[in-house]
Amino acid sequence: MNPIVISLFLFIVAITLVITYFAAKKTNTASEFYTAGGGLTGWQNGLAIAGDYLSAASFLGIAGAIALYGFDGFLFSIGYLVAYLVVLFIVAEPLRNLGKYTLADMINSRFNAKKVRAGAALSSITIVIFYMIAQLVGAGALIQLLFDIPYWIAVLLVGIMMTIYVLFGGMTATSWVQIIKAVLLMAGTVIISFLVLMKFNFNIFDMFTFMKTATPHGADYLNPGVKYTMPLDTLSLMIALVLGTAGLPHILMRFFTVRDAKTARSSVMWATWIVGIFYVMTIFLGFGAAAFVGQDLIVSTNPAGNMAAPLLAQALGGDLLMSFVSAVAFATILAVVAGLVLSGASAFAHDIYGQIIKKGKVTDREQMLAARYASVGVAAFSIILALFAQSLNVAFLVSLAFCIAASANLPVIVYTIFWKKFNTTGAISAMVTGLVSAIVLVSISPSVMNPVEGAAIFTGNPIFPLTNPALVSVPLGFIGGWLGTLLSKESNEKKYAEVKVKANTGGFRQL
Amino acid sequence: MKDSKKPIENETHVVQDFQTIEASPSFRGLMRKKKRFLIPSTILFLGLYILFPLIISYSDVLNASFIGDISWSWVYALGLFIMTWILVTIYMKKAAEFDRLAEATLKEFNYKEENNL
Repeated sequence: MNPIVISLFLFIVAITLVITYFAAKKTNTASEFYTAGGGLTGWQNGLAIAGDYLSAASFLGIAGAIALYGFDGFLFSIGYLVAYLVVLFIVAEPLRNLGKYTLADMINSRFNAKKVRAGAALSSITIVIFYMIAQLVGAGALIQLLFDIPYWIAVLLVGIMMTIYVLFGGMTATSWVQIIKAVLLMAGTVIISFLVLMKFNFNIFDMFTFMKTATPHGADYLNPGVKYTMPLDTLSLMIALVLGTAGLPHILMRFFTVRDAKTARSSVMWATWIVGIFYVMTIFLGFGAAAFVGQDLIVSTNPAGNMAAPLLAQALGGDLLMSFVSAVAFATILAVVAGLVLSGASAFAHDIYGQIIKKGKVTDREQMLAARYASVGVAAFSIILALFAQSLNVAFLVSLAFCIAASANLPVIVYTIFWKKFNTTGAISAMVTGLVSAIVLVSISPSVMNPVEGAAIFTGNPIFPLTNPALVSVPLGFIGGWLGTLLSKESNEKKYAEVKVKANTGGFRQL
Repeated sequence: MKDSKKPIENETHVVQDFQTIEASPSFRGLMRKKKRFLIPSTILFLGLYILFPLIISYSDVLNASFIGDISWSWVYALGLFIMTWILVTIYMKKAAEFDRLAEATLKEFNYKEENNL
């Protein structure tokens, strides 16, 4: 390990610990712990959303996917960005107006039923755990490669850091770690993109012409169809990407950190610009890696292509840039897992413990204590799972998380805000149908069952043909909610009027 | 944000008749304006987005050259980025108007922020 890597790495650890130290002083109430007291501004939260969203899977994964598969890799970038329109138009403002700390708060503002809250908390926790294992397994593998330390030490290291941020600094520390990470990530990406473009004399057309012959795919590299050849599979993946974001608990939680719907809205605007510019630059990262590192070296270093960006940095800027990019990747991982721990902990401590078990009768101190215990619990549980999941395919865990978010959370959110007749039975059946169908369909899909021995968890022919089941499970979630609603006679128009007025005016909300 | 020192007996908004507000012309006007923007634009962006994987899966038309070696697939893909930014910008403008209408509705029903629990 070279000394530059170690010093940059320690520098990032030091900055984040200083942030946590100052944040800890400002974290004295449950509201400060879960939402940083709701005091973030639009640009701050926008950067934090970008920091929460641009995971290692985005930064390293998409750069690698574009390097290896050309245009098909870029499909992820498109889906991940357009998803913000769903967030902005449908979810962000009503969520801020109706909820306090969690997604379950928002849905329960209409139903006030323990079963509904439990369902929402359960799906949130499921998504968080899958997403977290993906991040930790990816992080472990990456840090192992970057710093040449064993996998289990790498996972423990990341795990301990994320626990420290959340435990002591709550949402304030988490947000600032995310903001700083977003700035570092953008800086790193701009530098690499600039160096790549410089190699082509800033002529985009020359770059495309060069790419035609730079990879074994030839001219196909620049066209769709290198990786995704099954039309329905491609469509299903694209649906999961665009609808999943609006149901991810750690992203939704960020909207409670601002004071009102107006600020929630402007934070989405900031996030859309930052995330969008980042995703445009993934083209340069991917093309650059394919051109100046070469697919052979990328694949031999890591078969999934995850090392494309660091290798490109090495090729363009030597050890110094490589160290910087590795440090950025490390910061990226820390910021995302901290957000995940916090959203998992809020579902446990606020929804399950505070609202369901204690029926809302908890003091602020008890609430804080519960939140801290839950953070340690969520962190420990995912670290243990990640230690055993080393050989699992990370991409499939992430796509599963997006798929559950789109199938279990989005239908119930949409119905809660827009459908007058929607009722308690409908809410529960929407969540259960979405959650169960996503999990069952994935477990009988080619991601889990593969006829080639060792390619997936089970050997055998997949029963369900699509790698990502969103095409089926999202409609099932909507149908489940619709059928459940019709099968029950219950309906409360008065309550819906209240929810509608609150969601659309921002008045009468719980502060 | 601090929910400590608010008096608990303040229940002004609990007895608030939301159905009256919901049925009021000013609130209805706000909802009509919102729908007139949100429904068409949601259909537009989801439609253009879903159309993309369908076109590239079932046809090669986007493989044709736009300029030099840049094909129409890249133009469509970046078009979706530009569409996102444009819709966000338009929405921010529209939302300022929604905010004004929402405030007017709240004022009409003598709502004050301090009444929040």
